Amino acid sequence: MYNWRRIRDNLFKIIVLSLAVLALTPLFHLIVVVFINGLSTLLEAGWNFFVDLPPTPLSQRLGGVAPSLVGTFLLTLTSLPVTIALSLFTAILVTEFPKSRVSLVVDTIAKSLASVPTIAVSMVVFSLAITIVNSVPGIRVYLSPAGSALLGSFALIIVALPFSYTYFSTFLRSVPFTYKEAAYSLGMSRWAVIMRVVIQVVKKSMLVAVLMTMARIMGETAALLFTAGRYRSGVPTSILGPVDAIPLLIFDYILSPFEVWHRVAWGVTLILLLFYMLIFFIVKIGVKEVKLT
Amino acid sequence: MIKSKRDKLFFLSLTPFAISLLSILLLLVYVLFLKSIESLSAYGLALFTKTIWDPENGVYGVLGPILGTIVTSLISITTSLVFSIPLTITIAEYLKGYLKKIVSSIVEFMGGLPTIVYAVWASRYLVPLLKSYVMDPLHASLSFIPLFSCRPTTGYSIFAAGIALGISTVPYVTSIVLEAYENIPVIYREACYGVGSTKYEAIKILLSLSRPAIVAAVILGFARSLGETTIVVVTIGNSMTLTPCLFAPSYTVSALVASQFANAFLYRYAESVLYVSMLITTLFSILLSLYASKLIIEWRSRIVV
Repeated sequence: MYNWRRIRDNLFKIIVLSLAVLALTPLFHLIVVVFINGLSTLLEAGWNFFVDLPPTPLSQRLGGVAPSLVGTFLLTLTSLPVTIALSLFTAILVTEFPKSRVSLVVDTIAKSLASVPTIAVSMVVFSLAITIVNSVPGIRVYLSPAGSALLGSFALIIVALPFSYTYFSTFLRSVPFTYKEAAYSLGMSRWAVIMRVVIQVVKKSMLVAVLMTMARIMGETAALLFTAGRYRSGVPTSILGPVDAIPLLIFDYILSPFEVWHRVAWGVTLILLLFYMLIFFIVKIGVKEVKLT
Repeated sequence: MIKSKRDKLFFLSLTPFAISLLSILLLLVYVLFLKSIESLSAYGLALFTKTIWDPENGVYGVLGPILGTIVTSLISITTSLVFSIPLTITIAEYLKGYLKKIVSSIVEFMGGLPTIVYAVWASRYLVPLLKSYVMDPLHASLSFIPLFSCRPTTGYSIFAAGIALGISTVPYVTSIVLEAYENIPVIYREACYGVGSTKYEAIKILLSLSRPAIVAAVILGFARSLGETTIVVVTIGNSMTLTPCLFAPSYTVSALVASQFANAFLYRYAESVLYVSMLITTLFSILLSLYASKLIIEWRSRIVV
């Protein structure tokens, strides 16, 4: 009897561990193949990959992805600050008044927003832009319905909001009440307590939230499908005009039947993966977690 | 809660941010609904009983994509559950110290990885692999079962999309289950070992304690798979068909939108039909995740006192 229980215990352990290893295998395979295929593209294209325009489908040369890199930079630059501001202040409201009905409602809204498919966001932003352009004369100059960095950022903000809100509210909630109590007893106002105590205590975690939100924004594809505009014949200069983005380029090129576009897609995928790895390593190694008790 | 006048002012100064979140959500659902009315009033429920996409003649039916979405998500959540539970147990029970930190960081890394990276990998490597090592053998030996009856031609199919999606949701489901599992108070574990149970027996009891949380994780993973676009579009094969066979190319709602929306404005109703199917997916997804988070909160107040 005792033996059977021990055998079963070991058998279970073997099955569980091997399934766990199997669960992580895709990631390692993915990293390996992205590096192999991506490096072959990057090495052949050289530095020009970062400054050239994408190749034509039947071109012999690999060209580059400058429009997408600049586009993603523009999109991140315009959407990240708004996302952070909106979600941080909402998170402060919710953590300062945890028992008020407002915070319960906001939590529910954030959860609902997070489960809206990102492609739905893209459709809605697109049709809103059409409606506005059709009803307000003269606004076409600022709001191109064919897509622009502005529209794309709007969609990205909606997608990233619940994500960064969850981060911020989790971190702010982790500050023990004793810290605030001490600050209040010194006669500090609510704002001062938040700015000088709460935020300072979780300063590094705030940076984590910002970086992870940035990673989310840079990697988002579906929200940009109908909003960004896919401008690939030059480097975008204005946020009012159409732009391309790294994920969009990968998406279009990997679905195309052309070999040269597949190779470009692998190269950009490697760049995106490296970006993400960099952010992740900064978060994990650079930002050591503060232990609060 | 709100006591002094300055507190009230502080509260009021922050409410615009909360209101903007609320208005974004309302706007999203409202626009989806508004755009849906046109085709709903033109076609009614007939839209959901057929599988056809013929904008030239103005005939539409989205039964195929809707069923495709559900089946893909079911395969996806099954796949991720098969891997998530062992991964959770491994992290929580079998690993300690540095190794535990590394493995949970890897899971976190997988969770934040942009889906487009999974999509590229899945379309170039996973699908061919699944075709020659899973789909072909299953078809060869079990073709009398309708699910496996059709010959996998390219491999791009509901099955492939479901598996690819499942792999990408493993970290999400794992993080929910792991959080629940590790939050079970230690007294339960002590009680298990106190009566002399082996690790396997203890894990079995602890897992059964966290069952509502696992159910919630399943629902959340399912809801997330419903709306996922990138991975599905590149693996499902994009075809307007309705077959019982898992190895045939098909559509999900989001794949249909991704491939047809750009040209839909050319035809009357086409755009609106896409909005209807997206509205259904969105509402379904929101309701499921709210229900699941309610389950988790209830469970936490019952088990984790």
